[in-house]
Amino acid sequence: MNFFSVLRKELTEQWRTKRFLIVAAVLAAFGLTSPLLAKFTPELLKSIPDMPAGLAEMIPAPTVADAVGQYVKNMSQFGILLAVLMSMGAVAQEKERGTAAMMLAHPVSRLDFLMAKFAALAVAFAVSLAVAALGCWYYTLLLFEPLAWGPFLALNGLMLLVFLVYIAVTLLCSTLARTQGAAAGLAFAGLVLVAGVGSLPRVGEYFPGRLFEWGMVLALGGGDPAWPAFWVSLGMIAAALAAAWLVFRRQEV
Amino acid sequence: MELSEIQQYLPFLIPVIVIELALMIAALVDLLKREETRGPKWAWLLVIVLVNFIGPIVYFVIGRKDE
Repeated sequence: MNFFSVLRKELTEQWRTKRFLIVAAVLAAFGLTSPLLAKFTPELLKSIPDMPAGLAEMIPAPTVADAVGQYVKNMSQFGILLAVLMSMGAVAQEKERGTAAMMLAHPVSRLDFLMAKFAALAVAFAVSLAVAALGCWYYTLLLFEPLAWGPFLALNGLMLLVFLVYIAVTLLCSTLARTQGAAAGLAFAGLVLVAGVGSLPRVGEYFPGRLFEWGMVLALGGGDPAWPAFWVSLGMIAAALAAAWLVFRRQEV
Repeated sequence: MELSEIQQYLPFLIPVIVIELALMIAALVDLLKREETRGPKWAWLLVIVLVNFIGPIVYFVIGRKDE
């Protein structure tokens, strides 16, 4: 068995256990509702009967920036949450059930096993994000104005990169932990740590979360690139996968 | 914006409702086919049907027991 046959098995598994459906449905729903929410929140606020007259006029009319802002906010929260939830069982669950040993009894290398897991998750998130992006782009066109598709694509590429960081780190946690629950605990602790350190001034420049801001400004026609965060993110993916492989190589399964 | 204007935008919600229904149906089919769940089946039925969107997802993530 080589990498591609393990990948095919992983993708079938994702489909059968409905994990793919969950990611696609959640991201697509937020892709569609983000521009809608941006459009209607000010209107709904204004329609509150007791709103003081002056205050209602101070609520600014929604713009395309609100639509993109809402989209990035929702994707960053729910995308990362899903990345952790979907990846935490990847290795740990197979160890718990004993299916990892079964799998590795075939002539499949442990590197292929891990990489296929990562690739399958990457495919699921890429396809789901593409659906979400299409929905968001179309609703923004209908409700606001067309977004230049090139920069919008770049925004989504950057968001996918951040999701991949969290998938890779969670995969590492899933390899380190013996059970799925322990993997989840480890991964969420890591998530809090990365989010916490990433929100510090200066240091945050180098953290994956900074890519969301870059993407948002980019999609709205601005600049402000964050290449350090970009390279650090790629490095984190490589480091997490390498560490997972080093641990998994010597692990009793 | 008047209420009538808001109403003209209601069709925008149709795809969102379709996604929600698809999730709910997938969760229900899975629940009915499954022999055992974590916790009583009838409770999951209520969660899936009554809790919009989150219900089916919570079921998929924690409600299922490995076969």
